[in-house]
Amino acid sequence: MHIVRLGSVLVVLVTISVLVGVTFGSEHVAFETVLAVLGRRLGLTSADPSQAADAIIWSLRMPRVVLAAIVGGGLAIIGVAMQTLVRNPLAEPYILGISGGAAAGASLFYLGFLPPLLSRAFSMPVAAFLGGLLSITVVYMVARTDATVSVARLLLAGVAMAAMMGAITALVTFASPEPDKLRAVLFWLQGSVSGARWSSLPLPALVACSGLVLLIALSRPMDAMLLGEEPAFSLGIPTERIKHILIGLAALVTGTLVATSGAIGFVGLIVPHIVRFFTGVSHRRLVPASFLVGAVFLIWADLAARTILPSQELPVGSVTALCGVPFFLALLRRKHYRFQAS
Amino acid sequence: MGPRIYAGIVALLTLLTAACAEPQRQGAETVTDDLGRSIGVPMPALRVATLAPNLTEIVYSVGAGDRLVGAGAPDNHPRAVDTLPRYSTYPVDFEALAALQPDLVLATTQINTPRTAETLEAIGIPTYFLSFSGLDDVFDGMETVGHLLGTAVAARAAVDSLREQAAELRRITARVEEPPSVLFLIGPETLYSFGGPSYIHEVIELAGGRSITQDLPAAAPVLSEEYVLSEGPDVIVGPWSSETGTSDLLENHPTWGVVPAVRDGRVYGVEADLVARPGPRLVAGARALAKHLHPALFAAATTDSN
Repeated sequence: MHIVRLGSVLVVLVTISVLVGVTFGSEHVAFETVLAVLGRRLGLTSADPSQAADAIIWSLRMPRVVLAAIVGGGLAIIGVAMQTLVRNPLAEPYILGISGGAAAGASLFYLGFLPPLLSRAFSMPVAAFLGGLLSITVVYMVARTDATVSVARLLLAGVAMAAMMGAITALVTFASPEPDKLRAVLFWLQGSVSGARWSSLPLPALVACSGLVLLIALSRPMDAMLLGEEPAFSLGIPTERIKHILIGLAALVTGTLVATSGAIGFVGLIVPHIVRFFTGVSHRRLVPASFLVGAVFLIWADLAARTILPSQELPVGSVTALCGVPFFLALLRRKHYRFQAS
Repeated sequence: MGPRIYAGIVALLTLLTAACAEPQRQGAETVTDDLGRSIGVPMPALRVATLAPNLTEIVYSVGAGDRLVGAGAPDNHPRAVDTLPRYSTYPVDFEALAALQPDLVLATTQINTPRTAETLEAIGIPTYFLSFSGLDDVFDGMETVGHLLGTAVAARAAVDSLREQAAELRRITARVEEPPSVLFLIGPETLYSFGGPSYIHEVIELAGGRSITQDLPAAAPVLSEEYVLSEGPDVIVGPWSSETGTSDLLENHPTWGVVPAVRDGRVYGVEADLVARPGPRLVAGARALAKHLHPALFAAATTDSN
């Protein structure tokens, strides 16, 4: 598909998803009221919606939908980066244990080393980043032999690290001096964008968008990496440095997003697959398109999470896993899966 | 009719209107809650919502039930809550709260997380956290809620009455020379209990028992079978139905035949809402427990008063 046409289709899709996302929720708000709130907040109309409607649409649903978009987009492009790094389409931050490591780091922090209300804004993402970095480094070192990355080892190492990080999380949760937070941590470990506020958005937005810009800038070397490390190196690509950047970036983005919304899996697996079908493997198109499709995907997944059960909310992570695991298993069944060329 | 009569009618109408109007807001106050957070609250709060059943009970107990704008999904006491609109408290349904527009939300550190307060703050609703690790915390919490909702006098009276009931119960159970050792379990299948500082140990003490888990460092310990065997509690109680007895415990913990409580058939259930909620009904919970622990004392007490 032509890049401009694809771009405009995606932008329209994102806009529609945001509109639908803020229109539905646990409280019924008429569509005209939604438009009135948005119109007034964006300075388009002088409508005067009620205070409650304004709070629901603008202060609760809108930041929630925007956070879902940021997290979905960020996780999708990290999925692309991981798949390029290991040259296999089964890689994904959740499967490789980055999310688990980030969750372990974040819960270590959350459950009692620093006061929760004060410095959490920055300390928790840093703890999550370090946990994620540790996890992916171990997984990558185990899976790698000389210049090739064994898929079986990669997935097994990812499972093992995810289990270990899960055990660490369980350990600190049980040993915590504040066990009452257990329920909160549990919900958060399953991934949720519930309770998002405008003030919680700048950091994840900044990190996810920086990741997007950096990956677009790296699209040529990443294209070359798909050919294999040696061919890429002979093309003059500093492959070692690129790999370090990709690993560091994956840990940074995943860590920040996990600290904000918990471990939401499989977005980075599903989205790039769908997008490659339209864009091919060229990163110049794949990365930005994955970001937008990831945003759309998570907005809808979150909408499902808060509307499937009446008057009760599901963790969005369970929705993405319910879609993602069958997808993953279907991919595993295929022999010699390769990146699809357009 | 002369103008004076008109003036009289107008004055009367003004008075009536004033009497029917909502209580007047006196202003705002900055208060520090049990999490040490400094928050600005309207004084008194006229529209309040709670995030836990014990807080709802507290609001009613201090005579401010008419200030509640809704009730959380698990709230079931007093029955007046059934007339209120419901909202989910786990996870917190922020949209429902935004629609109900409370000017104060009450939360408890035992169930809710500070994160909740941050989201509510973003929609302009202050959240006051209460923490209950003992009976006195419950009484203090009732007075605090009374202060926040402008029913301080009623709150004081309610607390005085509860303190008197507790003292009366203590006079009865004080006659027990050697309080039996009591193990409080959350359920017959699992080994969850209360450790550290908790109101439950005071309730057990008030009922004339001695809680064996009160010195455990963890607040929510998972006990081992071995611990129960070596401690050998005289009584095992839990928030389960009265049908649950020794056979249920033996089924789940086959080795406990040698534990005195199981051996002697001293396994009791106390209505969950009375002992599992740090609220105004704890004293009633202690009394219900005391009747299980010392039936003779209460038979005697009833005879005395007759």
